[in-house]
Amino acid sequence: MAAYRADDDYDYLFKLVLIGDSGVGKSNLLSRFAKNEFNLESKSTIGVEFATRSIRVDDKIVKAQIWDTAGQERYRAITSAYYRGAVGALLVYDTSRHVTFENVERWLKELRAHTDSNIVIMLVGNKADLRHLRAVPTEEAKAFAEKENTYFMETSALEALNVETAFTEVLTQIHHVVSRKALDAGDDPLGLPKGQTINVGSKDDVSAVKKVGCCSA
Amino acid sequence: MQNMIVRTFMCVKVLKTGNLFKVKKKGEKEESSFYDMEAYFHCYFFENKLLKHLEFQIPAAMLEMEAQDLSDDADYAAASQEGMLSSKKSSFSDLENAEIVYLKEKVTINPTQYAADRISGKLKLIKQDSSLFMTWMPYKSRISNARLSERDKSLYTIKPVSFTDIQSIRVHTPKIGWQYAVVILSSGLAYPPLYFYNGGVQEFLATIKQHVYIVRSSENTNLFHINNFEDPLQFDKISLVWGKPRQSPLQLEEWGMFLDAEGRVVSPSDLKKRIFYGGVDHSLRKEIWKFLLGFYAYDSTYTQRRYLSTIKKSEYETLKNEWQSISISTEQSIKETQFKETKFLIDKDVVRTDRMLPFYEGDENENVNILRDILMTYSFYNFEIGYCQGMNDFLSPILYVMEDESEAFWCFVYLMERFGPNFKHDQSGMKFQFFALSKLMEILDKPLHDYFEENNCLNYLFCFRWILVQFKREFEYEEIMRLWEILWTHYPSEHLHLYICIAILKTHRIKIMGELMDFDTLFKYINELSCHIDLDSVLSYSEALCMSAGKNGAAAIPPGTPPVVA
Repeated sequence: MAAYRADDDYDYLFKLVLIGDSGVGKSNLLSRFAKNEFNLESKSTIGVEFATRSIRVDDKIVKAQIWDTAGQERYRAITSAYYRGAVGALLVYDTSRHVTFENVERWLKELRAHTDSNIVIMLVGNKADLRHLRAVPTEEAKAFAEKENTYFMETSALEALNVETAFTEVLTQIHHVVSRKALDAGDDPLGLPKGQTINVGSKDDVSAVKKVGCCSA
Repeated sequence: MQNMIVRTFMCVKVLKTGNLFKVKKKGEKEESSFYDMEAYFHCYFFENKLLKHLEFQIPAAMLEMEAQDLSDDADYAAASQEGMLSSKKSSFSDLENAEIVYLKEKVTINPTQYAADRISGKLKLIKQDSSLFMTWMPYKSRISNARLSERDKSLYTIKPVSFTDIQSIRVHTPKIGWQYAVVILSSGLAYPPLYFYNGGVQEFLATIKQHVYIVRSSENTNLFHINNFEDPLQFDKISLVWGKPRQSPLQLEEWGMFLDAEGRVVSPSDLKKRIFYGGVDHSLRKEIWKFLLGFYAYDSTYTQRRYLSTIKKSEYETLKNEWQSISISTEQSIKETQFKETKFLIDKDVVRTDRMLPFYEGDENENVNILRDILMTYSFYNFEIGYCQGMNDFLSPILYVMEDESEAFWCFVYLMERFGPNFKHDQSGMKFQFFALSKLMEILDKPLHDYFEENNCLNYLFCFRWILVQFKREFEYEEIMRLWEILWTHYPSEHLHLYICIAILKTHRIKIMGELMDFDTLFKYINELSCHIDLDSVLSYSEALCMSAGKNGAAAIPPGTPPVVA
């Protein structure tokens, strides 16, 4: 295995969406993960912004294409159009503002209505650094996540706390789903030709693409 | 002011006096006046049954560019017959080096429905050096009682025209009936149909093919492109064809010439046109933006404007006090929740609005507080729309230019009258614009439109940010001020921003279609164009597209599509 990998040399490309109320810190979670940057004054997101980062999951290189969406309620109808083909989602709320947690249920409902049932969802309580302002107890969020069958993590984009872990966990779980799918496909007598598009579920969207690398056997 | 003959064409003569076009039809004593040449040509030629199969699209800018001072059309006719009037783009002066590669006798033009009026002539293709030219010369009449005089006939003469100036040739070769060919120039002008009563259209085309690059249109088998703009490989050429040269910004001295002694703008349309082609110097923005946005009336005087500013200032203070008193009182308002939510959103957004700019940077920046106060006041002033993300983007340059809270507020109010529908809860304003965009694309680039359709991209969501905040996130601050003042002139269309969308997409069509981009890839690609768009070339291109779409373009945009113009 070569030590160097080009930016576009990856085994899987996964589309993730970042959703949640306006001002919960979605864009900063993303810039922390993708560029290790944090900026309190970064502009509000209009429509959607993109970032990518490749990480190693098990023995594969996984490239995450992350769609960072606008949070304001008025744009929700449009935001749902961005969900198409997403295999993972980070649903973010602000631990210092309870109302953003209350809205999680609606976000979840919309997300599930527009994506495949196999989508990997993580509930993310951001701004955990604002300890003196905490409005959403960890236990409350945890219980909700268990009930809704999603992953859960508290993060701080400001302090770079758990950001890496949250994204990595989601990507790892997606990889597991995909591997299982590939395995299931392998049992199929017709099989799935190597390098073919692997669908995590949805009918005709390209959800996860397995690339035929130059070094793949 | 002197009359200037802009063009003598078919049976009309186009004169220009200042900004006014006059058109004199053959046989009519009265001249008709038109400000909008394009509109004129459309209505005239489409009404004229004889010419109903011709398609005319004449950009006014083009007419002016080609304006020639021809004082007398008799002289003009004589000159053109002798080939003395050479086109600007091609020079055809020395016939001695020329070789006639095609000659067809009895090629005929039908100026009227009467067979007796037919004018027969000689069609030639002439090769000079590496260029190909076409000419058609009428025969001298042998019939004395012809309805058309010799002079009339000579008006139809096709002086040697270079094939570099010819855009396409449309041929009709029916099994029954006469064959004819229509030669369409790059400018969009077309010569009258040339009837080949003895056949020979195919031979004519075959000869052309030997000397210039000619391709049959994929959409219309009767159409042959000479300068094939439909071909993606040659596509960039179209931007060279149209679009008037951009000018330097309007300066103080020139601005003074637009005003009368009391400060009224003498000709708002001239002013708007001037601003369209070059924008205004930054020092003039504070004053001129107020006109463009409708805060100042163009026919107002200095005194009236000073008075207006004073009363509007106190009106603003009253509005501002309304919501400020709510926050002081002990939260009894029914609107309390909404107020708190709005305030939270605005507080959150103003601290992330253009903070890289010195004007807004740093802690405790007073301008950031002013942004907040204006947005809060507006959310009360227009309770139905309230506050929505993106409004801060609209307000930022306005406050930066006005440097005055009350004036910035009122200018913002006027701007929101135009673009408020972008922020409606049902997103109807945005939907209208997406719809119009799709229709315009269908007119201006059918293959790209079809590509979007096949790839489920017809919702044009990838243009969402462009449209919502009028490209605010796509250009540098100085450029966005320039672009906005240009868009606010509403010249040549109040919907020019939609043509800008088309222009940008068309500029990247080769890549989009060549790389078979799907919705996600396209979306990402479009997003990443931010700050990599050349403003001037996009403006020229969108101007050309707007001209070329003409009335069809305007008709494709549903009424009520933002900007809503009162």
